[in-house]
Amino acid sequence: MPEEKFVFDSLQDAKTIGEFIEALKLGFENGRIALSSGEEEILLTPKGLLNFSVKAKKKNDESKITLRIAWKDRGDGISCAPGTPIRIEN
Amino acid sequence: MITFEGLEENFKFIVLDVEAQASTTRQFLMEPERSLYEKIVSRDDYIDNLKTIIENKCFTTINSDKTLDQDQLNKIRAVQIITVNLERIADFLVNVVRQMGFLEDQAFIHKFDWQVTFDIIEQCLAQILPAIERGDMAKALSICKSEYDIDRLYKEAFDAIMKELSTGRQAQNLVTVLFIFRYFERIGDSLLNVGEAIIFSIIGERIKIEQFDALKRTLMMSGFGDSLAGIDFKGIWGTRSGCRIGKVERHLPKSAAKDRQSSIYKEGALEKIVKERENIARWQSLFPGLVSEIFGYNEDEAEGKGSILVEFLSGCTLDEVVLSAAEDVLGNALFVLEQTVRHTWGSTMVAAPVKTDYIGQLRSRSESVRQVHPQFWRPGLTLGSAAARSSEQLLTQCQALETTLPAPFSVFTHGDFNINNIVYNHETQQVHYIDLYRSRDYDYLQDVSTFLVSNFRTPVFDGVRERIDKVIGQFYLFAATFAAEHGDATFEARLAFALARSFYTSTRFELHYKFAREMYHRSMYLLETIAAHGGGNWEAFVLPKDILYL
Repeated sequence: MPEEKFVFDSLQDAKTIGEFIEALKLGFENGRIALSSGEEEILLTPKGLLNFSVKAKKKNDESKITLRIAWKDRGDGISCAPGTPIRIEN
Repeated sequence: MITFEGLEENFKFIVLDVEAQASTTRQFLMEPERSLYEKIVSRDDYIDNLKTIIENKCFTTINSDKTLDQDQLNKIRAVQIITVNLERIADFLVNVVRQMGFLEDQAFIHKFDWQVTFDIIEQCLAQILPAIERGDMAKALSICKSEYDIDRLYKEAFDAIMKELSTGRQAQNLVTVLFIFRYFERIGDSLLNVGEAIIFSIIGERIKIEQFDALKRTLMMSGFGDSLAGIDFKGIWGTRSGCRIGKVERHLPKSAAKDRQSSIYKEGALEKIVKERENIARWQSLFPGLVSEIFGYNEDEAEGKGSILVEFLSGCTLDEVVLSAAEDVLGNALFVLEQTVRHTWGSTMVAAPVKTDYIGQLRSRSESVRQVHPQFWRPGLTLGSAAARSSEQLLTQCQALETTLPAPFSVFTHGDFNINNIVYNHETQQVHYIDLYRSRDYDYLQDVSTFLVSNFRTPVFDGVRERIDKVIGQFYLFAATFAAEHGDATFEARLAFALARSFYTSTRFELHYKFAREMYHRSMYLLETIAAHGGGNWEAFVLPKDILYL
């Protein structure tokens, strides 16, 4: 499957950031985050356990917070399908 | 000449290799041989590579060595320009050699006197290194002049070939020879660029040889006399308006230095120069002394060019004051500027609504912005229920909104109120305006936003930034006060439009990507804010002031 990816970069005020975070919150609750930019569309379906890291940084007058949420989409049972015998050979 | 690591050596090599390429080409024209052909083609690859190496070194040096003075920078620029043109000459030589393959009889070329042209080309190539090493102006000029001779010889050959073609015989041979002479002619064009670049490295100003003539005529009409010998032509500013500007001074004995009459010579598209002259006259009649006096003027309708000689205003441009003057001098300069601006706005104000076209101005420059920064034209974003509009959507929406928001009055604006178009004279406590071809009766916020953003886009990020912020803050306050005094209730909304335009269009002058991106984002953010506000109730619009500071 080809990589789906886009980056959107902008300046926003705190109110709009709040709207985006609110939209994300709903997305995680519903297990469905739809994003699009230009021609690109990506549908993310977070569920189960997700990796979550927070990076915060403050140096002089520059501040930064990075939230990283990552997960693997697992088809039901495919990656750990039972019944496949494991063979050990010498 | 240049002591930058390895660059000098590489540069010498490329000059010598192109010289060698010319000499092998001559041999080939005399006696075409497969081995010579191969030699020429493989040397061309080598020259291409060398050009890339030199260009990389030039740019790396300019970028990494912050201790270079203006003179050294000029030399590196000249080296880069000369290299590009030498590589082009080498390509033309390969083309000449390839054309020989199309001659049915390779001796046919000798029916035309190509050797004279070739002599000139080889002589010029041989003069490049000595001209640049010794700063030899005469040699540089002689390289420039050769283009004229090569053109003349091309014309002669062209006429002779045409005449023979009309007999209907030898068409393939004749057309091939015509192509060969055409490549010679193009080599001449590149040699002219080389000569001009050497002159630039010597006197530090790019000057087109044809401009010497325009300068001469303008000087004659203004009483400077017709001899360039007694005149210093010294470039002082680059300009973004497409005109060339230089400072002209008479050579006078030192004792007479005080009475020295200096002037600015400017040459450019006729339309711009005509406009500038009209505007200067209008400024003069309204505010004597605020702008330069006109000493001379010349139109060249055939060439579509004009030139103008105006009084040189002594003082510093405001950007120099902002960056380097003492605090009290800067304070004074701003005070005098505000007084002057208040006076010009107040006394030219016409209380009738004026339509603005800030979004139109932005659009008309968006192509040149995207040539420099293709990514500064964003698609939209949707994230579930939240969304950000695309650049196109924002502009369409804001352009429609702008029609509902005329300025309540017009003033005679400067039109390009950049900090480097304002001259401050500390001794006389005066400011002067320069570069006036865009002056018109319009919304004063065009000048306000240009002024604010020209400060913002000054690429300094250390302690001096505080001074810039102070200037921005003070001038904003001044403009807001003026607006309040004159009942301009939609000041903040219109300024948002004007700033969106200035931020966006300024990015095309800024190659520092991160800094340019700051301005681009600000522009889009302002448009978002305007679009979110929607039409009507513009009096309640609040400009996000943070946008003015980095």
